[in-house]
Amino acid sequence: MTTEPAIRTLGLTKHYGDVEALVDLDLEVRLGEAFGFLGPNGSGKTTMIRTIMDEIRPTSGTASILGFDCHRDAVEIRRHIGYLPGDLEMYPRLTGRDTLRFFANLRGGVDWSYVDELAERLDADLAKRVGDLSTGNRQKVGLIQAFMNRPALLVMDEPSTGLDPLVQREFQEMVREVVTEGRSVFLSSHTLSEVQRVADRVAIIREGRLVAVEDVRDLRTKAIRRVEFLLDSAANADVFAGVPGVREVTTDGARVLLSYEGRMDALLRAIGDRHEILDITTHEADLEEVFLTFYRDEATDPLAARGTQPSAQAVG
Amino acid sequence: MVGSIALKTVGDRWRGTVIGAGTIGLFLLAGMAAYREIDLEIYQQMPEVFLSLIGIPPDADVAVLTYAAVYGFYGALVLSSIALSMGSASMAGEERDGTAGLLLGNPRSRRQVLASKSVAIVALTSLGAFVLWLAGLGAPALLDVSTTGMHVGALIAHLLAIALFHGFLAMAIGAWTGRRSLASGITAGVMAVSFVAVGVLPLFEGLEELAKLFPWYYLDGGQPATNGVQWGHVALLLGGAVALGIAALVGVERRDLRGRESGTTMIDRLRAHPMTDQWFERLAGSTRVSAIWVKTTSEHQGLALVSGMLMFWMMGVLMGPMYAAIDPSVLAFANELPEVLVAMIGGADMSTPEGWYVAETFSLMAPMAVMAVTVTVGARALGGEEANGTMSLLLTNPIRRSRVVLEKTAAMVVLATGLGTATFGGVMSGSLLAGLGLDVGNVAATSTLVTLLGLVFGALALAISAAVGRVRTAVYGAVGAALAAYLLDSFLPFSDRLASLARLSPFGWYLGSDPMTNGMDWGHAGLLSAAFLVLVAASVVLFQRRDLRQG
Repeated sequence: MTTEPAIRTLGLTKHYGDVEALVDLDLEVRLGEAFGFLGPNGSGKTTMIRTIMDEIRPTSGTASILGFDCHRDAVEIRRHIGYLPGDLEMYPRLTGRDTLRFFANLRGGVDWSYVDELAERLDADLAKRVGDLSTGNRQKVGLIQAFMNRPALLVMDEPSTGLDPLVQREFQEMVREVVTEGRSVFLSSHTLSEVQRVADRVAIIREGRLVAVEDVRDLRTKAIRRVEFLLDSAANADVFAGVPGVREVTTDGARVLLSYEGRMDALLRAIGDRHEILDITTHEADLEEVFLTFYRDEATDPLAARGTQPSAQAVG
Repeated sequence: MVGSIALKTVGDRWRGTVIGAGTIGLFLLAGMAAYREIDLEIYQQMPEVFLSLIGIPPDADVAVLTYAAVYGFYGALVLSSIALSMGSASMAGEERDGTAGLLLGNPRSRRQVLASKSVAIVALTSLGAFVLWLAGLGAPALLDVSTTGMHVGALIAHLLAIALFHGFLAMAIGAWTGRRSLASGITAGVMAVSFVAVGVLPLFEGLEELAKLFPWYYLDGGQPATNGVQWGHVALLLGGAVALGIAALVGVERRDLRGRESGTTMIDRLRAHPMTDQWFERLAGSTRVSAIWVKTTSEHQGLALVSGMLMFWMMGVLMGPMYAAIDPSVLAFANELPEVLVAMIGGADMSTPEGWYVAETFSLMAPMAVMAVTVTVGARALGGEEANGTMSLLLTNPIRRSRVVLEKTAAMVVLATGLGTATFGGVMSGSLLAGLGLDVGNVAATSTLVTLLGLVFGALALAISAAVGRVRTAVYGAVGAALAAYLLDSFLPFSDRLASLARLSPFGWYLGSDPMTNGMDWGHAGLLSAAFLVLVAASVVLFQRRDLRQG
């Protein structure tokens, strides 16, 4: 349909009075990728999404979706996207199926066999009235609503809210399928592990400012590993300290525990020259640790940052 | 703790209370200024029963007349509505908003919560009454009108008592059912029926005593403004309020709390019932969600149905035989009425069936019934979806914001037309039943005009809702404007200097030409339609420009 990026924002800024909810955000989500939008609570994720959805208007800057201007072409955009708002609310008196029918009518019809398929995969009960559903089951109806017109771009704000782990996995699978078909996904989250599982790239936002955009694979190679060696004899800490990328070495007789960033063969060679290695255990640090290691200095401490949020309601 | 819940309620609502009561106080001032210019001689010659019919105590002077008109009706209405809205919100409102669980997560029993809400109701209603009392003393002082022999305090005491009665009635219904809309609906219905009954029953020989069955009787039945506090009446109302309060405390402990609002409508029940599901599945399901306007119309089915029934049966059908039954000598006197007074009772000459229907049905009840629906739809149309957090999902679809506004307007037009039709049908049936021979065209014209009038204020609510996205602001704004327009139209014509201003009131465009006698006034219909269209256009523009509110 287009070669324009799925989402592009240029200097996107939103102020609520004195509160800077979003500051000068430049972001590009490519076609055919799953893009994660990460940040702590109140960092501006929802404000950004509501701005590109034309629910609220930017103080300055522009945003486009699939090449269409987010404000001027808002109606055209909505033909091509599926959207799941954060804090999803629906009409309590309608059943799930009535709700989907209502939106399908506003869209000019959808493929009902696909709706049924989605409902089955997510184990959603469409016969019950939405008001009688639990948060997670309501979220399923919202997800079906977002997926049902096979949109070119899916925008989802905290999509796995309330879903149990099994359904979360199914949802992640659905996202991967969308990407496999060449369509795009933009989802916000405050949990890194979720994004790690579905996203190709990830943007990190804090206090309304973009901190970094990273390829998830690059983040993994940056990943710090915790490595534990069992050697043939008591080890000398100096042996390890000389190896580039090694940190926080602790030794306990023949047992050595360290953090390492870099290629594993370099480390093995450095140690193998002096010792025989009896056993190695290693585990990958998750994005949480990576994030904290790499970006701690670029933004204020998360706890302090939360304390300085002037108004959670304005920037939620 | 008990105190903090009461304080929170008072903190949330004291502004609305002061503004509501203050507005009525201003109306008192305006009304008194206008009445001052009337020649009051005529009252001395009227039979007492007629005076009661139009709600004027005997031996009325300027002050009494104004108090009777402004406080006796509007004051009681506003103060009762304030109490009603708090009463119905007290537990049922917390349940509807989904906050009841959170509130009761604190170490307080349901009864303690309800008790503290009761304290807040009494405190705020008293605050409103106090404002009315201040205005009641201030207005005559400002205008140098004599209030000798007037018992303002007594009138206020009665106002407070009836307001508390209505407030606790709503609280009791809400406590037993957990349904806020049911609580306010039934209480408002009781108010309407009781007001009409108390006005009409004394016209019939032998039925006077029946009026005492209705709460409204105890507001002014003993004419506290001239006779001082009727302790028996006040005690009866307050006793009723206490009994209802106790009933609420009992009821609230006896049932399951509701979650966020998911009340069922009649159609939903019919759909769920095995005997009727075949017929109603389509109506409740695919038809209801076929378009925004259909869905909006269906959401207000309960309110529209109740208002429609009230207009058709009570204000329409019933009023015909009632007119035929009234002693003609009472009505004959109406011929002698001076013009100003005729204007005051809605331009109605009650010696004719046309005038009778204007005075009883069209002057007040019909506009109120239509506006109850249009203002509700208009205020909830945008602000309601925003407050419920559903607007973002609605606008996920490829539709313009203007389409949302226009489809919601269409729903408002459909419902208002339904009410206009019910009124028309009821009045015509009443006329046929009693052989009054009303002109079909004239009744149709009047019903059309009242529909348009309702739409104007509905569109005003819509415009405010479009501008700010808040339901309560929209309701207050539209109701306040309607009240001002009504009083403008009723009082200003008495004053030579101000009479021309009254032409600006949409109420003047409604009954000013006496359409029940003269048929359709196309100029007025055009003015009303134009005002409606301008307000809808403004709503579209205002809603396009604004950031949506979130939850």
